[in-house]
Amino acid sequence: MPQSVLSVERVRSFLSSPVSDARLTDLLFASKAEVEKLDGDALTVSVTPDRLDLLSEAGLSLELGGALGLARGILRFRVDPATDRSAVFEVDASVDRLRPVIAGYRVRAPPGSGLDPGTLEEAIRFQELIHETVGRGRRTASIGIYPWEKIEPPVSYSLETLDRVRFVPLDGTEEMAATSFFGTHPLAARYGAYGREGGSCLVLRDAAGSILSLPPVLNSRTAGESRVGDRELLIESTGTQARSVEESLGLLLVVFAVRGWSVIPVPVVGPGPRRDPGRAAVAMRSVRLPSRLLGEMAGESLASAEVVRRLGRARLGVRPQAGGWRVEVPPWRPDLRNPVDAVEDVILAVPLSPEGAVVPPSFRRGRRRPETMFRRRVATDLIGLGFAAPYTSLLVSDARVAQLGSTSPIRLHNPVSTEFAYLRDRILLSHLDVLAHNTRHGYPQRFAEVGPVVVRHPSAESGSETRYHASLVVAADPVGFSDAAALVDYLLRRRDVLAVREPSELPGLIPGRSARSRVAGETVAELGEIHPSVLIHLGVPVPAVWAEIDLTTLWTLVGPREAA
Amino acid sequence: MGLRRAKALNPDPLSPTVPGTGEAGPDLGAPVSLSGPERSVLSALRSIETLPIDEEELPRRCGLDADQVRGSLQRLRSKHLVVLEEEHQTIHRLTPRGEATRATGLPERRFLSALAERGGSMTLHDAALTGLSQEERSAAIGILRRRGLLAEGLPFRLSAGSKVGADLLPEEVVLRQVAQGDPDIDEAILSALERRGLVRTERRSRKRWAPSDEGRRLPLARGGEEEIGALRPELLLSGAWKERPFRPYDVRADVPFVTGARPNPYVAWLEEFEEVLIGLGFEQAEGPLLETEFWNNDVLFMPQDHPARSIHDALSVEGVEGHPPRADLLARVAAVHEGRPITGESQPVGAGWSGRYDPTIASRPTLRSQTTAVSARFLARQPAPPFRMFSLDRNFRRESVDASHHIEFHQAEGIVGEPGLSIRHLVGVFRSLSEAIGIRDLKIRPSYFPFTEPSIEGYVRHPTLGWIEVFPGGLFRPEVLRPLGIGVPVIAWGIGVMRLAMVSLGANDIRELFSDDLASLRGGGT
Repeated sequence: MPQSVLSVERVRSFLSSPVSDARLTDLLFASKAEVEKLDGDALTVSVTPDRLDLLSEAGLSLELGGALGLARGILRFRVDPATDRSAVFEVDASVDRLRPVIAGYRVRAPPGSGLDPGTLEEAIRFQELIHETVGRGRRTASIGIYPWEKIEPPVSYSLETLDRVRFVPLDGTEEMAATSFFGTHPLAARYGAYGREGGSCLVLRDAAGSILSLPPVLNSRTAGESRVGDRELLIESTGTQARSVEESLGLLLVVFAVRGWSVIPVPVVGPGPRRDPGRAAVAMRSVRLPSRLLGEMAGESLASAEVVRRLGRARLGVRPQAGGWRVEVPPWRPDLRNPVDAVEDVILAVPLSPEGAVVPPSFRRGRRRPETMFRRRVATDLIGLGFAAPYTSLLVSDARVAQLGSTSPIRLHNPVSTEFAYLRDRILLSHLDVLAHNTRHGYPQRFAEVGPVVVRHPSAESGSETRYHASLVVAADPVGFSDAAALVDYLLRRRDVLAVREPSELPGLIPGRSARSRVAGETVAELGEIHPSVLIHLGVPVPAVWAEIDLTTLWTLVGPREAA
Repeated sequence: MGLRRAKALNPDPLSPTVPGTGEAGPDLGAPVSLSGPERSVLSALRSIETLPIDEEELPRRCGLDADQVRGSLQRLRSKHLVVLEEEHQTIHRLTPRGEATRATGLPERRFLSALAERGGSMTLHDAALTGLSQEERSAAIGILRRRGLLAEGLPFRLSAGSKVGADLLPEEVVLRQVAQGDPDIDEAILSALERRGLVRTERRSRKRWAPSDEGRRLPLARGGEEEIGALRPELLLSGAWKERPFRPYDVRADVPFVTGARPNPYVAWLEEFEEVLIGLGFEQAEGPLLETEFWNNDVLFMPQDHPARSIHDALSVEGVEGHPPRADLLARVAAVHEGRPITGESQPVGAGWSGRYDPTIASRPTLRSQTTAVSARFLARQPAPPFRMFSLDRNFRRESVDASHHIEFHQAEGIVGEPGLSIRHLVGVFRSLSEAIGIRDLKIRPSYFPFTEPSIEGYVRHPTLGWIEVFPGGLFRPEVLRPLGIGVPVIAWGIGVMRLAMVSLGANDIRELFSDDLASLRGGGT
């Protein structure tokens, strides 16, 4: 879950009433945020991925204010029209292949105030969090914050050749060429691919030619560094998806809206049909809330006043309309787009009580699948035969696959470790581990397991098939092929199945002492003596036999009879 | 007569007259009892005048084979009826090569003889004609020079002042001593000859046996009858067991290690949990462990660029090609992802996600990350409401394994679909489940899942762990249900049962659930 460390004092500063640590913890438990740790001023909060706004002090204080009854309804902020016609983003078509979307707004401090250290710190921290979440690591959206006073509009957004670009990186003091920046800077190594194409890179530049930033990598120090005291900021977001750009700008807005800053959308101009999510990013949305849907999902009929009260508590606007309500949603709540989303906010605005729960009546007993019952019966037979019952993972190691010389298991493309690198196609692969892990115990050893394997099946939807096998191993002195064969025969005979054994070369087994048991041409079991070369690898000092019954195949043969 | 006596010795367990009759049964408490071979060996020892006697002598005297004698002697010794005198001997012997060398002469002797034959000086060429092999020549020259008998440089000459005549070289002395069994041998020379493969040393122990005083006094037969050891079928069927006494066994002796089997504790726990769900009316469903992204994610309204679907979180496979689902279903799911109306409908189901839906992603195989995929497949079959389904199965996530995380995890997934279901019914199911596992305290908080709205989590209060998160769930979103053609509300939940199992089974490490330690699995210790 997304997590951040906030200043609890800054959160409290927004509230007009003191809140104890315990109360804070309780209130957040009832929301989509949760206190992970509270250490002095450092409040570590985690949130569900749909409520990133709660990872800013501003957004969290809005939520707490509603929960404490200190404030109700939607927070309104001032949106001013753009009076300066030159204050636009001029977009060049060259950006379309790489990062086509740009949008932004200016935020202006209330009269007599400016950017304070806390707001600057919060904005920068929240900006980075948005990059990693909504922005998918800056790929789909990334935000830049600039001092508007240092910018001469309009701001151009284009793809420029690297040799034309020189700037002072935000974390540097010397001007450097873009070629050098992309070759050496750690942020360029991480995000450069999103803003560079061949010998060119994306550049935001003002009318004076000053570089604001190389999106989405880094701002310049000269025109792209916001400082305490700045009265007006330009906030832009570039990206590959309009919705991500819009959401990222909407979320960051809460930091300034809560502090009474006003907003001025910055239009986007350029060739072709160009969507401008900047205006949408600062606009209140409205979502329909049908009373019938609310009643059905809540399981109760809520009075209109109660609905209004709950939505007000959730810091949303609401007005009744025919058949329900219209819910007004601020830009920092991108999770609220559909009627069911609004229903959730009403239902969860107050804690759900288990006492009010209704157990849906059931008029019949459930059941397992007949095939599962069949597998359980085989497992019970094996326990009756004295086989210990390990429980092993479907994923097996590189080493075991190599030792068995098996070529058919499916390999993971991105394994976490070599220990879990293949999907077993025989439980034997797991049972080699069991043998290796138990060499310190006495012999004889008998163990068996009923479990899944995954085998290739090119025509199946996932290119594979999950099948169920019963594998058994006996390690003892003496033990031989006939012991394994007798066990397979018994287990099949229990199902009234008579199989024919045919010699078969199987990986990891002694040639001439391995076989397949077939019924009507179908292989129902494989069995044999484990090869000494395998046993030596495992450290097993006694002979061992193995048999594995394909229960999926066996079920197709005996299913109708067993089910009856 | 014999029959009556046998009855007394081997009372028939089916005879009502024997128990409590006071007749003498087999004396299990007797201090000593002998098997036939033991009796033969002891008898032979007692008949020998010159004692102790070598073990090798006994088979011939007892009429038994060596293994029988050896085993009998060990058993007799454990019964304190014989005593053992054991001598450890070290014997040096000439190897076949040593025998041959003794006959032909050591290479250094032969080299010296050749040198003498050539007047005390010998070229390298002449040395090659001495009949010594290259290896022998090299060894001889090295030894003679180390001993100071041969001067450095060529041609080969004796060192100034050295005299080589009929005196034996030290190696020749030792070879002779070995051949003659002389024990007073120079150990350093002996070791050198061993390294040259001319001598080998054997260490033997000589075992000599004699009866102990107790062994001499022990009566060796009961009326001359041989006791029955193992009860063989032929004894049983012929009735011969009635004629001879049973040899009592040493009931304190070690016995073979027997183990049993019992259901795997974790599997048994999972099956018990299934019983709870079955009792609540849920029917089981299963699905493939290697899924397509369509069933694992797309149909559940997970955005195609969701971080949980990235290569860092989801496990994908090599060399396996997947296929898209049926075209109409793919089109419906694509429409809800893009926020378009489903074909034949006028309004979009919802706002959808940003970006275009990529059908090629839908076909990619991925290891199942949530049992909700099974629910989706179940719903795609459009079951007639009311329905209740559960699936308790394996899922996979790309995590390193430690005490609290495993790459493979179990989820108990359940859905209920029928008209009129609400969030209160979901809480009701949570309450039923928590009561079924013996926990009454339950509280609910908001949560989030891409496929449910509202989404909640149920916490239960465990006696020792406090409040623990157990029940995530919600009502399936219209974006999930409408493409699948489901017209009733469906409540869904997916419980991470491994945590519950760990609490219930007292496991401190999740890896204990993947148990393969046979000592604990079969019970009865190691």
